[in-house]
Amino acid sequence: MNNVNRSVSTAKLLRYKKGEQIFKQNDFGISIYKIINGKVLVFRECEGLEVPIAQLGKGNIIGEMIFLLKGVEVRSASARALEDSEIEVTHPKQLLEEYEASAPILKLMAETALNRLVRMNTFLDRLAVNEQEKREHFKAGLHFRKNKRRFYRKKVNLACKYALRKAPRGCDVTLKGSIKDISMSGLRLEIPSMNERVMSHEIGEVFQVETVLPNEKQLKLICTLVRSSKARGCIDLGMTYAQLNEGTRKTLGFFLLPA
Amino acid sequence: MPIDPVVYNYICSEMRYPANAVIIEEGAKGDWVYVVLEGQVKVKKETPKGFVVIDTLSEGEIFGEVAFLEGEGAGRSATVMAAEGTVRIGILDKEQLIKEYSLMSPTLKAIMRSLPIKVRETTQRICAALVAGK
Repeated sequence: MNNVNRSVSTAKLLRYKKGEQIFKQNDFGISIYKIINGKVLVFRECEGLEVPIAQLGKGNIIGEMIFLLKGVEVRSASARALEDSEIEVTHPKQLLEEYEASAPILKLMAETALNRLVRMNTFLDRLAVNEQEKREHFKAGLHFRKNKRRFYRKKVNLACKYALRKAPRGCDVTLKGSIKDISMSGLRLEIPSMNERVMSHEIGEVFQVETVLPNEKQLKLICTLVRSSKARGCIDLGMTYAQLNEGTRKTLGFFLLPA
Repeated sequence: MPIDPVVYNYICSEMRYPANAVIIEEGAKGDWVYVVLEGQVKVKKETPKGFVVIDTLSEGEIFGEVAFLEGEGAGRSATVMAAEGTVRIGILDKEQLIKEYSLMSPTLKAIMRSLPIKVRETTQRICAALVAGK
């Protein structure tokens, strides 16, 4: 940015290089910018996304929204030079007085347009964020047309090791079983009846279950025992996850995607 | 929202519309400014994939100001339709509005005019995003 003319007290001519920021969303500032030459992009910043609002050129004014809001709010958008631009910056003290003195109906109309713009910008932000999420889901393979449900309970037969998470001294044994089905909320474990003689399997107890998925990903799950039933020669245990960290959630989610 | 007394003073005519009647048609010439006196109106925009509703306005809200502020015979930026039931619309005195508007300095007018430009651009972007998401 290069200050060209310091002698003019009310208006200053500033030069911005291509890519330079003119003002930033959420900044305080009441100055109005008139594009003398060049091109400027006005955009909103929302959840790390840039949502373009308008591309403006010679003769257009930017930064006026905060003026109409009488500077009580922060800037609602950011602006950046799309090419080398000359911009006249005015501190609108006089303008503000003139605006205050103008017909109330015109001020009301400006406010109406302004409110509409703010409402539409918020709407646009939401649309842009939704669109971005969709794109990310698509990339992660979470997008599919036939099924609306993202994850399913899957029937499996996975050999696993499990142990009490906080085993009393002398009971810290690791036992074997097999996971018969698994979902994003819990799993069903089948264990030999004899396991019960080695370690307590009380409802409410927390276990660490370790297995390797068919895609060779290791899975360590912290589960609470919620159901136990005896079958022929084995015991069926229903468990829900006591906690699921981000990495495990992703691994599991990927595995549970419908084929 | 109750009708602002400032607006009341400018109402020169009143119209009633049945549900789904078109009040303003997108692209048509005209710069009258309206206010919703009773009921609701829907602001719609035509896209290659049909109409999309971009806004709904209720009692006391002004519409038509985009074309008025932009001036110079700009076409209507969107279609406005009566929503359900009977909708009562007030029409504002255009002559009076133009007179007041002409008293503004060129800079202030330029600021006023920048709003509808942005409303139009933002409307286009919303439509594009809605159509892409359909």
